[in-house]
Amino acid sequence: MRPDRQQGMLKNIGRHGCIAWLACLLAGPLAAQEEPLFTVGGFGTLGATRTTSRDADFVRDLSQAVGAKDKWDGRVDSLLGAQATLHLAPGLHGVAQAVSSYGYDQSFRPRLSWAYLKYEPNAQLALRAGRVGTEFFMLSDSRQVGYSYLTVRPPGDYFWHLPFSSINGADVVAKMQLGEAIVQGKVYYGISDERLALADRVWKLEGSPMVGSYVEYQNGPWTARLSYANIEFRHDLPLGPVLNAYLPPALAKQAADYLAAGGTRSHYYSFGALYDRGPWQLQLMLNHVEQGSNAFQPSDAGYVLAGYRIGALTPYLGFSWVRSDRRGNTLNPVVAKIMADSHAHQNTSLLGARWDVARNVALKAQWDHIDGEPASIFPYRRETPAWDGKMDVFSLTLDFVF
Amino acid sequence: MKIRLVLRRLLTLLGFFLVLSGEAAADLVVVVNARSGVAAMTRNEIVNIFFGRYRQFFNGLEAQPVDLVDSHPDRARFYAALVGKELAEVNAYWSRLVFSGRAQPPLKLNSSEEVLKYVAAQPGGIGFVELAKADARVRVVFEFKP
Repeated sequence: MRPDRQQGMLKNIGRHGCIAWLACLLAGPLAAQEEPLFTVGGFGTLGATRTTSRDADFVRDLSQAVGAKDKWDGRVDSLLGAQATLHLAPGLHGVAQAVSSYGYDQSFRPRLSWAYLKYEPNAQLALRAGRVGTEFFMLSDSRQVGYSYLTVRPPGDYFWHLPFSSINGADVVAKMQLGEAIVQGKVYYGISDERLALADRVWKLEGSPMVGSYVEYQNGPWTARLSYANIEFRHDLPLGPVLNAYLPPALAKQAADYLAAGGTRSHYYSFGALYDRGPWQLQLMLNHVEQGSNAFQPSDAGYVLAGYRIGALTPYLGFSWVRSDRRGNTLNPVVAKIMADSHAHQNTSLLGARWDVARNVALKAQWDHIDGEPASIFPYRRETPAWDGKMDVFSLTLDFVF
Repeated sequence: MKIRLVLRRLLTLLGFFLVLSGEAAADLVVVVNARSGVAAMTRNEIVNIFFGRYRQFFNGLEAQPVDLVDSHPDRARFYAALVGKELAEVNAYWSRLVFSGRAQPPLKLNSSEEVLKYVAAQPGGIGFVELAKADARVRVVFEFKP
């Protein structure tokens, strides 16, 4: 963390502290009420990650510009989040949440992840408006909250190509009871305000509209969900400098049109099933991604995960995979190289344990064995020609909530 | 004859221990407001309410679940009996819902007496206490059987 960033963060925290203190003063006279007016909380992870390869950077997801190599690296998983909730009236509250994590700009600059008003008129309906989380896949709206996860991080092959976390927009959740089961549906719409790191450049998602929905069925220990979401990109990939450097102007223009992302739409389909009762936690997830731009390859991914708690220790075992399909044909080697950048073809076996060492604190250790094709480069950063598609990743994290 | 007697004593002793362990798990009950119109509930209905999935009774009344603080021994026993989960797992579950903005956890009170007062005062109140503490102010709708 750069010192100036750190100072900025402390200043922010200081400001939050002031608000919390003021709210406590305000809450004083209302202490007769059972529900507090104002609540603050937070979550965080201190992580250290290293791999067995010097030929590609391992990143948590595509929002990170650089990642871990064969030396212990604290940037991949470490993060800090704080949330403030203002209870305005029964069924009405406001939430603001900021998260500091290592991102596209190679800094821990905090980002306002949520800021919304939520209205729940009854048990069947919930409406949110403001900056809200997206739920492209099941569990994806909490993937920064390490403490809520069994594994060190959401299984990479499934989640890494999901850099979208929030939209400025609104969502609606409707629930109904079917016997003892609960069926709920959610619809959300909004405009992205995010950026991605691509090579040494930044791709703006800003202005891109996203729409999504899911149907979820919960019965006792079982939860199953079908989801669909899409995003229409507003901006092209930052390819101009590369194309202009290697191609004559006419060809560069042609290549840029062929690889255009602006105006194209990507579609995300997924299925998830969870079993959570007693000592067992089981998860199965599958997704399919359709890409509108020739610059990206459509893909299929999935994972299975099983954990069994023994006292405070929960060992777990998982397997994940991702396959992308080459699309389009080009004789232009520069265009072919750019298209190959979005290829992913690999399996990951993971083994680890979560130790709930104290109240609201968990220690985790995990080993990921990644076995992929040398051409599987989309999930990584700064890969070299020597990259063989294989690495082991060792991770240690301390997750906490407060 | 002698062996049979020993066996019978062993069985009696075993039965005694089973009853004892049964008692230990059985003495927590789920209580609701006596005027809620709810007479009995199933385990899954209680899970739906306490885990923030669906906060309404079958008769349409909004449910207002109330929990105990972590340090109260009944809290760990309740979630172990209800879903077989440790408190760490319950807290991890809530951290997911809270920090994704999906649901807020039930209000946490310090003692069983406060739970009884809350349930008696709120039409949709629902909480858990030891069977021996459940008095006329509340109605028992679920008992944890071994």
